[in-house]
Amino acid sequence: MTEPTQESPSGRQEAGEIARLLSYVAIFAVSAGLGLEAAAIPTSRFEVLGAGAFPLMVYGLLCLVSLIAIVGSVRRIGVGAIARFGGEVLRWIRDRRLVIVIFACFGAYLISIPWLGFSIATFVFLLVAQLILAPRNPLSIGLAVVIALLFSFGLNWVFAEVFNVFLPRGT
Amino acid sequence: MLDAFLLGADQIFSASTLLYMLIGSVAGIIAAAIPGFTVTMAIVLTLPLTFAMAPLQGIAVMLSVYVGGYSGGLISAALLGIPGTPSAVATTFDAFPMARKGEPGRALSLGVWASFFGTVISTMVLVVAAPPLAIFAVKLGPWEYFSLIVFALTIVASLVGHSLVRGLMAGAIGLAISTVGVDPIMGRPRFDFGVEMLEPGLPFLVVLIGIFAISQLASEVEDAPSVRSGKSLATQEIDFKTWEVMREVLMRPVNLVRSSIVGVLVGALPGAGGSIANLLAYDQARRASKTPEEFGKGSPEGVVASEAGNSATAGGGLIPLIALGIPGSAVDAILMASLMVHGISVGPRLIMDNADLVYGMFIAMVVASAMMLLVCVLSMRFFLRVAEIPKWLIVPTVIVCCVVGSFALNNRMSDLYLLGFIGLAGYALRALDYPLAPLVLGVILGPIAETNMRRALMTDADWTLFLTRPVSLIFLVAAIGSIGWAAHKYFRSRQNTEKSA
Repeated sequence: MTEPTQESPSGRQEAGEIARLLSYVAIFAVSAGLGLEAAAIPTSRFEVLGAGAFPLMVYGLLCLVSLIAIVGSVRRIGVGAIARFGGEVLRWIRDRRLVIVIFACFGAYLISIPWLGFSIATFVFLLVAQLILAPRNPLSIGLAVVIALLFSFGLNWVFAEVFNVFLPRGT
Repeated sequence: MLDAFLLGADQIFSASTLLYMLIGSVAGIIAAAIPGFTVTMAIVLTLPLTFAMAPLQGIAVMLSVYVGGYSGGLISAALLGIPGTPSAVATTFDAFPMARKGEPGRALSLGVWASFFGTVISTMVLVVAAPPLAIFAVKLGPWEYFSLIVFALTIVASLVGHSLVRGLMAGAIGLAISTVGVDPIMGRPRFDFGVEMLEPGLPFLVVLIGIFAISQLASEVEDAPSVRSGKSLATQEIDFKTWEVMREVLMRPVNLVRSSIVGVLVGALPGAGGSIANLLAYDQARRASKTPEEFGKGSPEGVVASEAGNSATAGGGLIPLIALGIPGSAVDAILMASLMVHGISVGPRLIMDNADLVYGMFIAMVVASAMMLLVCVLSMRFFLRVAEIPKWLIVPTVIVCCVVGSFALNNRMSDLYLLGFIGLAGYALRALDYPLAPLVLGVILGPIAETNMRRALMTDADWTLFLTRPVSLIFLVAAIGSIGWAAHKYFRSRQNTEKSA
């Protein structure tokens, strides 16, 4: 039997299983913590169940299911898989570089809205994001500028004048 | 009765009312097609515009927005894989794969025709069965509601995707998200950890947009070379044969009628709504189908069921409103407010005191659905152009629409930060192969389940009432049967997969 390599589909499957295992462990830990928090919520004198009863049931269920998932996942992961995991993660990140860049732009956009206001922040976000994703030619760049103007200053105008909904103005 | 009917028809078929209704239909469709904008928001914005109109004219315009809105959510669900409104979640399951397989025209046409027939069937039920159904719906106590929600939660078993365990985890995460913020009975803060933005809870619409829209848009740009080459969402030539599709919808009468009845019944229950009807109708169609393995891969049955189901809630929601003066949803409450603004008292005497208005509303529902159909068929080619827009252009633009929709909900910046965080978490869950639909179902049903469970036990501490009240027992038995059936199907399909491997 051939050993799975970093580039092989089975190597990718193994890495995916390890990533899922980590997510199960994280969900278990968070659920257990929040379950304890729910148990600490005092019950009310007006009802049999308190505000913590329903969350306690939900987090209890989540702990149980994630524990089953952890056991199943550990049984599926091979011995050498963990050693290959780091390489697979780097490859995954490299393949999804555009997604990471778009999320970074989106995060910067959301943080900048209170300062720059909706119109300016949106114009910059749209222009930068479109230029990152677009093919490099004059038509695309021209179109990106027009769309950025329409969906930033134009959208802000429509909401303010037509719907009386005022988007953030900035400081 | 005939006098009242003719009087109502006379008002609806006046030129000005028809024109306003047409504008309302277009507005509802466009508003719902934009991710983040809901039917409720569109109706709220329409309400002040109807104050100067005659009562029936105003309510007819709002019904046009309502009916148009239920269908508009289909457009972004089919073309972008993003539910335009919460009531179009299940529509994405099959309409989007169908569009991706090169049939966006068929996906949209199926949805539009199913919506039309769903609304017409629900109006017929409304006319015939409004009083008895309304009396039944309001007699249900918190025990029956809780059991109904338990039954609705069993839909998770049909939506689990590749892994039963991850599907259950996603459903439970959705329920957990719904517990953040003040508790629904006593108003006690929970799980906010002193963070101001968590105090009011996580707004459902922001969770929906983040989980479905942001994560879907991010996954569209995974393949860098194809995005940079200017690739659009649909690469094949777009085909559009709406009359052929109408026959295709009518060839599935059982699915159409069953899904519409599910929509009417869910719509008639105060507190339930289009989002639950959409998922429940889809689930029932999948269970009844001879080819359940095709669901999730572009099955026409799935598109018809989900769209007929959500559109039929429009008529269903009017049942308790007209028969008893009880609004079943936020939209129905706004319709009720519109009548009250005109000095019409809404209650059991509505149909006796204002028969022309009630019959006019029935006629307006049918006219509104015909207008929705007309607008959608005429504008279909325009909407289908969306699928031809390059990804580099549409992805950032739709992200901005999501931001505006999330902000306009409560005018809070904190909702936008939540949107970013939930979008990132949604993308991570998608990448780890967690199904997202059970999570959304959990967020929808969690607060209803908790409220009714606690309310039932506050009324009477006896737990056995959930089993001894007949309607509650029926729902619980149905829930057990539903889980058993789904588990049997799941393990049998796994065995078949292992054998063929």
